[in-house]
Amino acid sequence: MNSPVMQFQMISKNPEETAKFYCDLFGWTVNADNPLGYREISTGSPEGIQGGIWPAPPQSPNFVQLFMAVADAKAAVEKAQGLGAVVLIPPTTLPGGDEMAVLHDPQGMPFAVWRRN
Amino acid sequence: MQGAFREKLQAEYESRRAKNSKYSLRAFAAFLGADHSSLAQILRGSRPIPAARIRAWARKMGFGSEEAAVYIAAEHVASKAVSQRTQHLHHWTAEALAVMNEPAHFEFLRLTREPGFRADTRWVAERAHSSVDQVNIALTRLLRLGLLEMREDGTWRDITALEPLTEEAFRKVALESVRQAAAAKGVKFGKSERKQKA
Repeated sequence: MNSPVMQFQMISKNPEETAKFYCDLFGWTVNADNPLGYREISTGSPEGIQGGIWPAPPQSPNFVQLFMAVADAKAAVEKAQGLGAVVLIPPTTLPGGDEMAVLHDPQGMPFAVWRRN
Repeated sequence: MQGAFREKLQAEYESRRAKNSKYSLRAFAAFLGADHSSLAQILRGSRPIPAARIRAWARKMGFGSEEAAVYIAAEHVASKAVSQRTQHLHHWTAEALAVMNEPAHFEFLRLTREPGFRADTRWVAERAHSSVDQVNIALTRLLRLGLLEMREDGTWRDITALEPLTEEAFRKVALESVRQAAAAKGVKFGKSERKQKA
């Protein structure tokens, strides 16, 4: 299976303001009506990828991370660890059945692997 | 960034030697108005360069005062390793303070043990008297510290194994988890630091 980039996620200390800024700027829409209150971004375009916004603690930086599709999150995490990645959040089943894990690559850049249900 | 002026001095010395193979370190020191053994130590990197010397030597090598100011600033910037360590220490201390002081963490775990718990952070936020964002930040931290599990069957479980779950016991376990996570990144504080000093 290929591992395309499925989604971008903005980690923001002020998610409400971040959502407002990008919606005002690009006409995106945000829907948080789901069990995690996750702000799902719809760019309104069939091109490119869709995204989301997740809150960051006050001491953390704001950043964007990418979600790569995998067939098996646990296997992808093991492979990434073998290549020098560090697990931040182990494979975790999200409401709805998707599975996700968050890691730091060997350069310290966070990314996520995502198995769609 | 530290060592940038030393590299400049070294380059200047080497350039002079390239033009005149007999050009000595003593001659270069005389040009700068410095003691040659001090200059040798500076070029080896075993001695720092005071700001006044950078200013004076930069002038002799033809740099403007603005350039000299940049080299002075570069000498005073913390090394990458020190800066990274400070950043890590700041991060893990903030993590420890957050689990100690933000009630959403304990409340989240307490609620997972209640009958009728719903795996929905909006539901948790309402009962924990927190915002959904605060609860989601707590959720991320609890997952990262290995204190909560979101299972394949859709349930969320407190995995602290604390019986009974009290605020005091939670704080102890959470702090130990933060300490272990920090130690895995090479940052030691709290118990480990006290042990080191002993």
